[in-house]
Amino acid sequence: MNNLKVFPIIIILLLLLTAFVMPLIKKRKGVFFLSLTTVAATFLLSAGMLRTVNLVGSYFIKVGPYEAPWGIAFHIGYIEALMALLFTGVTLMISWYGVYSIHKDIKEDHIKYYFTLVHILLAALLGVVFTNDLFNGYVFIEAVTLSSCGIIIIKNNKNTSKATFKYLIMSVLGSGLLLMGIAFLYAITGQLNIIAINNELVKVAASKQNIVTISLSLIMVGLGVKSALFPLHTWLPDAHSSAPTTSSALLSSLVLKAPIVFLIKVIYQVYGLEVIRETPIFSILLFLGVAGMILGSVFAIYQKEIKRVIAYSTVAQMGYIFFGIGLGTEMGLMVSLFHVFAHALTKAMLFLCVGSMIEQSGYKYKDEFRGIGKEMPVTLGAFTLGALSMVGIPIFPGFISKWYFSIATINANQYIFLAFILASSLLNAVYYFPIVINGYFGIDNVKGKIYKSKYKPIKEVLPLAVLAIAMVMISGYSSVLLEFFKLGLNIK
Amino acid sequence: MDNLMTNYYDSASMILFGVGFMTLLLNNNLIKKIIGMNIMDTSIFLFFITKGYIEGGRAPIYAATQSQSQNFMNPLPSALMLTGIVVAVSTTAFALALTIRIHDAYGTIELDKVIEKRGLQNEQP
Repeated sequence: MNNLKVFPIIIILLLLLTAFVMPLIKKRKGVFFLSLTTVAATFLLSAGMLRTVNLVGSYFIKVGPYEAPWGIAFHIGYIEALMALLFTGVTLMISWYGVYSIHKDIKEDHIKYYFTLVHILLAALLGVVFTNDLFNGYVFIEAVTLSSCGIIIIKNNKNTSKATFKYLIMSVLGSGLLLMGIAFLYAITGQLNIIAINNELVKVAASKQNIVTISLSLIMVGLGVKSALFPLHTWLPDAHSSAPTTSSALLSSLVLKAPIVFLIKVIYQVYGLEVIRETPIFSILLFLGVAGMILGSVFAIYQKEIKRVIAYSTVAQMGYIFFGIGLGTEMGLMVSLFHVFAHALTKAMLFLCVGSMIEQSGYKYKDEFRGIGKEMPVTLGAFTLGALSMVGIPIFPGFISKWYFSIATINANQYIFLAFILASSLLNAVYYFPIVINGYFGIDNVKGKIYKSKYKPIKEVLPLAVLAIAMVMISGYSSVLLEFFKLGLNIK
Repeated sequence: MDNLMTNYYDSASMILFGVGFMTLLLNNNLIKKIIGMNIMDTSIFLFFITKGYIEGGRAPIYAATQSQSQNFMNPLPSALMLTGIVVAVSTTAFALALTIRIHDAYGTIELDKVIEKRGLQNEQP
C-alpha cells in the first residue's frame, strides 16, 4: 500500500522531467505526442491517487529525508486528489485542442517551449494543491506566476508585452504580501508546516489577536490578487484576452483556482474556522465576492471584444467562489470547491469555443459574430451549453452550484444575499444570450452565410465535446462530489 | 514608540516594505517599479531572518570539540530566504527582459506613454 502513496511525487517529477526534455525534440509531432502521453499518464495517476485515498483515507507523504515539522510534506486527501484529477484532465483536453491550433497562434519553433511551460505550470499548480508547507506553497505559487507569464508572452506582440508586465507586477505584489503574511505567522508560531502551525496557533491565537488578523489579511489579499478577487482583478482582462487561445483557457480555468485551493487550506487547516470568525475577514470576503459577482458582470456587458467578455465573466464567477468562502460555513467552502470544478470545466470550454471562432472567422468583436451559428454550428452549440451553465439553467453545473450557494446562504442566515445571486444570474444572461441568439437567429444575420463554410473537422472539436460531457457529468454526480469535499474538509 | 525602538529590525523592515510597495504601485517608470519590487522582497527577507536571530548566538555549525553552552541561531529562516532570493532574482530577470520587449515595441519605458501610444493604435486599426 505504501507504494501507492508516492503517486503525487511521481506526478510532479514526471511533469518536470518531461518539461525539460521537450526543447530537445525536433519535430512538432514528437512534442505533441510526449506532452499528451505525459499529461494522460498524470491523469491516470491522479485517478489512482483518488482510489488510494478511498482505500486508506487521507495521508501525508514526506519529500526528502526529514520528518514532518522540519521537512516538506504533501498532504493528500479527497480535495487534493479530486483537484489533481480536474487539473490534469482539463490540461489534457486543452493540450489536445492545442495540437490542432497552437501553430496558428505562436511561431513554429516556439511550440516546444510552449509545452515546456505548460508542463512546469501544471507541476507547480499541483504542487500548490498538494503541499502541506506554507513556504513550499509560496515557492510553487511563484513558479505558477512565472510560467503563466511565459505562456502569455509567447504570442509575441505589443499587447501581450504590456499585459504580461501588468500581470507580473500585480502578481509580484501579491506574492510579496503572501510571503509577509507567512513571515508574521512564522513569527508567532515558529512553524511552517500547516498542521504544526495550527497546533501552535490554537494556543497563542487569543493573546495575539492583532497579529492573527494582520497575517490572515495579508495572505488573503496576496492570494486574492492571484485569483482575481474583485478590486484586484485589473490584470485579468488584459492578460486573458491577449494570450493565445489555449493559454487563455489554462489561465482562466486552472491558474486562478490553485490559489483558491491554497486559501481554503489556509482557512480551514491553518487558522480553523473558529479563529477566523473572531476577525472581520469573512465579512470582507463576502462583500468583495458580492461586488465581484455584480460588477464583473456589469463590466462584461460593456465590453466589445468577445474574449474580454469571457474574461470579465471569469471575474464574476470568481466572485461566487469568494462569496462561498466568505459565508464562513463548511457548506460555503464545499460549494466553493464545487464551483471551482464547475467553472474550470465550463470556462475552459468557453475559451476554446471562442478561440476557434476567432481563428476560423478572423473576427474579434462580439458584434461581428452575427450568423456564426450557420457557419460553425457545432462550436456555437458547445458555446451555448457553456453559456447556459454560466447563467444557471438546470442540469448544468452552474445551476447546481448556484442552488447550493443559495442553500448555504439561507443556512448562514444571510437572506439578503439571495437577491444578489439572482441579480448576478440575470446579468450573466444579459451578456451571454445576445451572442448566442445573434449567432443562430435573425434573418438578416444569417443571410449570405454559407452553411458549415467555416466548419472545423470533427476530430478538432472532440476535446470540446469531452469537456461538455464532463460538465454535464459533474452536475449529475454533484452530490457525490459534495460528499467527497465534505469528507475532505472534516479530516484534519 | 518604545516598542518600535526595541524591535528596530521589525520597524525598519516594515518601513522598507512600505517604501518598496509604494514604489512598485505608484511609479511610472518600469525600471523604478522593478527596483521597488526588489526593495519589497528584501524587506521581507530582513524580517524573516531576524526571526531566527538570537543576541550573541553562533552560527549553527556543530563541532564536537566546542562547548555546548553557547546558543545557536535558528538556521531555518536563513535557509528559506536563500530560496526566496532565488525566486526574487528570477522574477527580476524576467521583468527586466519584459522591459526590453516593451522598449522595443513602444520606444519608451514610461507606463503612461505606453498607454497613450496604445490608445492611438486602437483608434487607427
